[in-house]
Amino acid sequence: METVANEVSRGRSTVASLRIAILQFLADPQWLIPSMIAPVVFALVSYELFRGSGPYFLTYAILGAGMMSMWGQTLYGSGWATAQDREFGTLEPTIQSPTPYLYVILGRVLWNVLSGLFGGLIVYAVIVVAAGGPPALPDPLGFAILFVFVMLSLASVGVVFAAFYVYTRYAGFIQNIGEFAFYVGTGCMFPVVLLPFWTNPISLVFPPTWGLDALRYLAIPGYRGFGWGFWVDLLGALGTTVAYLAIAGSIFHRVERHVLEEGNLSQY
Amino acid sequence: MSATSFAIETRGVTRVFDSRKGFLFREVSRTEALKGVDLAVEQGAIFGLLGPNGAGKTTLTKILSTLLLPTGGRAFVLGHDVVTDAEWLRPRIGLVLGGERGLYNRISGRENLRYFADLYGLPTAERERRIEEILERVDLSSAADRRVEEYSRGMKQKLHLARGILHRPQVLFLDEPTIGLDPKSARETRKLVRSLVADGVTIFLTTHYMFEAEELCPQLAILSKGRIVARDTVARLRQLVGGDRTLEAEAYGFEDSEVSALRRLPGVSKIIEEEYGPRTRLTLRVRTDEIRPDDVRALLPDHPELEVKERRTSLEDVYLDLVEEEAH
Repeated sequence: METVANEVSRGRSTVASLRIAILQFLADPQWLIPSMIAPVVFALVSYELFRGSGPYFLTYAILGAGMMSMWGQTLYGSGWATAQDREFGTLEPTIQSPTPYLYVILGRVLWNVLSGLFGGLIVYAVIVVAAGGPPALPDPLGFAILFVFVMLSLASVGVVFAAFYVYTRYAGFIQNIGEFAFYVGTGCMFPVVLLPFWTNPISLVFPPTWGLDALRYLAIPGYRGFGWGFWVDLLGALGTTVAYLAIAGSIFHRVERHVLEEGNLSQY
Repeated sequence: MSATSFAIETRGVTRVFDSRKGFLFREVSRTEALKGVDLAVEQGAIFGLLGPNGAGKTTLTKILSTLLLPTGGRAFVLGHDVVTDAEWLRPRIGLVLGGERGLYNRISGRENLRYFADLYGLPTAERERRIEEILERVDLSSAADRRVEEYSRGMKQKLHLARGILHRPQVLFLDEPTIGLDPKSARETRKLVRSLVADGVTIFLTTHYMFEAEELCPQLAILSKGRIVARDTVARLRQLVGGDRTLEAEAYGFEDSEVSALRRLPGVSKIIEEEYGPRTRLTLRVRTDEIRPDDVRALLPDHPELEVKERRTSLEDVYLDLVEEEAH
């Protein structure tokens, strides 16, 4: 019998993974409903929090609520999906297939970015309605492009985190410890410069810290942030994102080797 | 380059599992799941691996299908090392672990197959045609678009099989493929396995069911406590445990002298004594045709309730004898 399997197309595997993530999401209302309701709640809370904080409070509100509704899904969605693979028993057949697991993760990352952006759009719509108009943005197109990039940079950290979920079934424990610290430490809700100075070097290890600071430069005239200017922030975001993707590329192979040594793929 | 002409070959494969307990003070316990397994399976054959729970069957299956690294020794599939050539091997082998897990339950059977077809790099033009063909072959066509969570255990097992053969593997590993299936589904699965062999696929099958192994596997091995305790054809394995024929004598207890007398009968190679409540059963493995049930009755005249039966030594007898010997 001739094996029909061809050289595996990594792009096709990534698309297949994206497709299955969408199908699973649509098949399960427990995800669909909160992913639409939560952004509405976050938007209203954020709007009330920043109301009266100045002419650009709307942008703060949108960024804060938008990131609140998007970051968890984008950052941890891929890891959760791997944890689900463990629970469903699908991690073994997936690892056993010729597709490197990293490309399965990338498909999920794409879905998480897309669903995160959908949440962001809901936040935007709610705050515009609540405020009676759109926020004052000096460069709306640049802001939108940078916003998508920040989501991708967040996702690049998510790919590295996902490797932990392949590595061990206890990855959720690590995530639970770091979840809120990461959210505050990367400046999702308010600028990192407001935090104690000693926390800043830790924050700078993560791409979203740079990206969010760059976003605020772009959206809020007179914003000072770290004081390095927009382009340094943008370069910092790009550099750290590339670094995270490189780390992901190199550690997945090692992680796979480790789990084959440990034999813990079916444990959950 | 191929290191062996066999479809599957293992040379002294060992596997040790370390399990850790505790957080601050870690306690490590070691389990030797495989203790030097040597096997060889011809191309295009069905090879059966029998063994009690915890014998190491699934561990060996996972090592051969590149899902687990051996601690020691080497294993080859299609002449390629399962550790160093895993990337080459994965498109060419199939694995069916079976059970309730291992599938995406909230999506349809067809979508499950599409996903794995893409992960196996099936050409797009070929994919849908192949999925249709496989669904028909495992008799799941009418349920293909239903969610897997609505499937019965048997249907899930068929879907596992469908996924395992979707990419036309040259070697297929089946771990307990009929466990939990109703007799009809199990029979269909066995029929499918035979048809795959007719297509030239080499099958490595682990099972608990002796009749299944006897029916499907011309060659088999018995694994007990991580060691291969026997490896041969069913006929030769019968000889190994004392003969083709088995006589069973059952009564309310036997004297040692009576058992010794039976043991002295020519051709009796082994006697196994088992208690069943108030009754005792003596199982005699017999190498020749000379001894008949009447010969046994003649040596046990003090048991009016005595029942003596004659039957062919089954694979189950072989299995139990060998596993029992290993246990002692």
